Amino acid sequence: MKKRLYLELENCIGCRSCLAACTQCGGHEERNRNYVYDVNPLVNRQTMPLMCLHCENPACARSCPAQAIQIHETGAVLSALVEKCIGCQNCTIACPYGIPKFDQEQNIMYKCDLCIDRTKDGIPPMCASVCPSNTLQWLTDEEIENKKKQFNLDNGKWVTSMPYLEGETNVKVNLPGILQGITKLF
Amino acid sequence: MQRDKFFKEIDNINHPNEKLIKTHCSYCGMQCGINLRVNTQTNKIIGVEPRYDWPVTVGKMCPKGVTAYQQTNHKDRLLKPLIRDDASLKGTAEGFREASWEEAYDLIAKKFKELQTEYGKDSLSVFSGVSMTNEKCYLTGKFARVALGTRYIDYNGRFCMSSAAGGFLRSFGVDRGSTLPWTDIHDTDCLFIAGSNTAECHPTSMFRIWNVQERGGYIIVVDPRETPIARRADLHLDLQPGTDLALANGIVHQLIEMGYIDEEFINKHTNGFEETKELVKEFTPEYTSMLTGVAPEKIIRAAEIYGKAPNAVVMFARGVEQQHKGVDNVSAYTNMALVTGNIGRPKAGVATFTGQGNGQGGREHGQKSDLLPGYRKITNPKHVEEVCSVWGITPEEMPKPGVSAYEMIELMEQKTIRGLYLLCSNPAVSAPNQNYVRKAFKALDFMVCSDFYLSESAEFADVILPAVTWSEDEGTVTNIEGRIIKINKAQEPVGESKPDWQIQVELAERLGRGKYFTHLKTAKDVADEFRLATKGGYADYYGATWDKIDKQDGVFWPCKDEEDEGTPHMFLDKKFYHPDGKAKICALPYRPPAEEPCEKYPLRLTTGRVVYHYLSGNQTRRIPFLHDMCPEPFVEIHPETAATYNMEHEERVRLFTRRGEAVYKVKITEAIRKDTVFVPYHFGHEESINLLTIAALDPISRMPEFKACAAQLEKVELKKVQ
Repeated sequence: MKKRLYLELENCIGCRSCLAACTQCGGHEERNRNYVYDVNPLVNRQTMPLMCLHCENPACARSCPAQAIQIHETGAVLSALVEKCIGCQNCTIACPYGIPKFDQEQNIMYKCDLCIDRTKDGIPPMCASVCPSNTLQWLTDEEIENKKKQFNLDNGKWVTSMPYLEGETNVKVNLPGILQGITKLF
Repeated sequence: MQRDKFFKEIDNINHPNEKLIKTHCSYCGMQCGINLRVNTQTNKIIGVEPRYDWPVTVGKMCPKGVTAYQQTNHKDRLLKPLIRDDASLKGTAEGFREASWEEAYDLIAKKFKELQTEYGKDSLSVFSGVSMTNEKCYLTGKFARVALGTRYIDYNGRFCMSSAAGGFLRSFGVDRGSTLPWTDIHDTDCLFIAGSNTAECHPTSMFRIWNVQERGGYIIVVDPRETPIARRADLHLDLQPGTDLALANGIVHQLIEMGYIDEEFINKHTNGFEETKELVKEFTPEYTSMLTGVAPEKIIRAAEIYGKAPNAVVMFARGVEQQHKGVDNVSAYTNMALVTGNIGRPKAGVATFTGQGNGQGGREHGQKSDLLPGYRKITNPKHVEEVCSVWGITPEEMPKPGVSAYEMIELMEQKTIRGLYLLCSNPAVSAPNQNYVRKAFKALDFMVCSDFYLSESAEFADVILPAVTWSEDEGTVTNIEGRIIKINKAQEPVGESKPDWQIQVELAERLGRGKYFTHLKTAKDVADEFRLATKGGYADYYGATWDKIDKQDGVFWPCKDEEDEGTPHMFLDKKFYHPDGKAKICALPYRPPAEEPCEKYPLRLTTGRVVYHYLSGNQTRRIPFLHDMCPEPFVEIHPETAATYNMEHEERVRLFTRRGEAVYKVKITEAIRKDTVFVPYHFGHEESINLLTIAALDPISRMPEFKACAAQLEKVELKKVQ
């Protein structure tokens, strides 16, 4: 059963466990490939992760003159092939979310590959495995559909990936606001 | 057992030439399940994998847990015993030379004997900690009483959880940190959380806590700061530090006034209601608001939500416990559960967030100045007899009760205590009033410190013994829920390091007390003697064998025999542990913090933790990821307060109290009260906020008031001009 990375931004507590875990997957040269932002640090402690969303039509891959960025059959947009990457940084500029990182020393880009050695076998990526707050989850489409129903807001909007993102993505995002749609128990 | 909706069957990835050792994280009371990755060719720990099969945390880890494995083969590990001959260098990391275990043991035995011959048995002391296994905690108590024969033993739980212990003992007659398993928490309808920065200090509780809201339940948070959990709470009671007792009394008063009490439960199963009802009458919303700074309508609303909830759990942590009325705070919040009958059934109860990895088990088995294994009292002759029969000594040989951790430090300064054996703790960072504490350590004639890194406290030692990390030994730990779990060994000790139980056996032999210790050859031997020593005590671990722990995913104490599966939920029969079987609703008059703000010190200083560090930071400050995320302490100030001092974000400022001062970077945030400043405590030397904190002790738990004292700020540049 195909599962996807799902981001529930309302849940983020800013612990950056996802970043720590990203360095520990066994295949990421101990460099983390994603981001956690303080949304408004002088005001409150709201934070949000920014993970690669694994676009269905990824700008990074389209912009790559060397065709170094491959798309796995699962939909995961892989990190640049070391032997092909020319270090032009087109991908970083093209990505609407600024995801691909750049290694100045090796003159090479690196990005989230959705822990492809795990996710190809249905094992959740490290970030979603460890996330203590369930901001990052590894869910089936059915489970995501249930979330959509559960968190349907009274303004008729399911606050999620589209139309707020640049295009369809394999990773699904739910923006803050889930609690607005909840009926209290008492 | 207790596999709930969060549990998913997930296989771990197989890396070539590796095996996974199932164990738990080294740090806080959550004791998250982790797998350590071990290279099968080098037999070294090289990484971590989630432990999806652990029912409490289902693979989740905080950033400390993810990187915990990096402690074991860290470059800073102590590989050999160290001796310092020049005592004038005490308080620095200078002057140590490597020595053999033989030489170190000889020197310790000689010095300990000299001091005891000249100044008596009680001139020696043991200061220990609860970030180690039950077996080690147990043996440390036996070592102090049987090998050294001193009354002076105490432990760092006095700076952590002793107020929770005191409050639970008074309210329930038993101290098990949580009356219910963590797998119940997401299913309750109201979580009332006081003085716990849960998202940073116990992050892997958060997926359960958020789920309460997703189900339509409520979260109420009591904290002077808008912590990540307070930010999303349904109600945030933003009280002044040190005023919890007034708030709890105010809420109990409202619960009574608004008719949310359970009279049948109160009549059948509790004492003390009428007195308490009388006492809390004074705590009207307006009066409570005046004392706490929380708006009256918020107090009423909190009582309404908690009172209406079909099932509710009251939870608290160091915020309420680290006060000079910490025990009263704990009993006062527990009153909320007792007057509404929210106890003794699933999904309802009272819990404290255990701070240290073995904060629960470590305080039950005889490291505390007045306790013996199984939560027995050293002042109870029957209890003493029971333990003596296991230890093979006579009751006359059992030392008298000693004093609490901070009071031991006072006796060091007064030269009553001349020698110290310190293990598993870093009081030169974690104790309050550091200028005094460091002076007291310098005054010692002889100090031994056992640790796996050269901590700030080790800098005061004459001899440092290299201990192992948690991953190089095995044994049991009792987690936040009261569940006894198993820590497994993943690699051989690095260098010449040894587990503390082995060090104590070998030292006892040097001190001529081998016959009480020599039979303990393995951690399992210690475990078997430990279980026997707890048999019949109310913290009875006798039935919690390592096999059963493995089979059942842990065993909740009490567990009296082989057939007993343990006790996940306490008080299901509504029987409490006081002699009449009833719980006590406590009438507790309000007392303000020991030191209130004044003209000279107008701010309230409170201290706490950040998600990236654990306790004194001796472990986590050395881990690159954690250090990068939080390399230094800071002082959190509300922008309006900062403006009155003309201070900017990230500017360095001097913070001072009657006891000490330090310079910190300003962190401006609206997420704190205007009258309060906050500094995390994980840092040593001149960065330690405990240079400033007050040693006002709780009369029962002897817990210092880390959470509230009066302070003042000053611009650093201004001082230079003067």
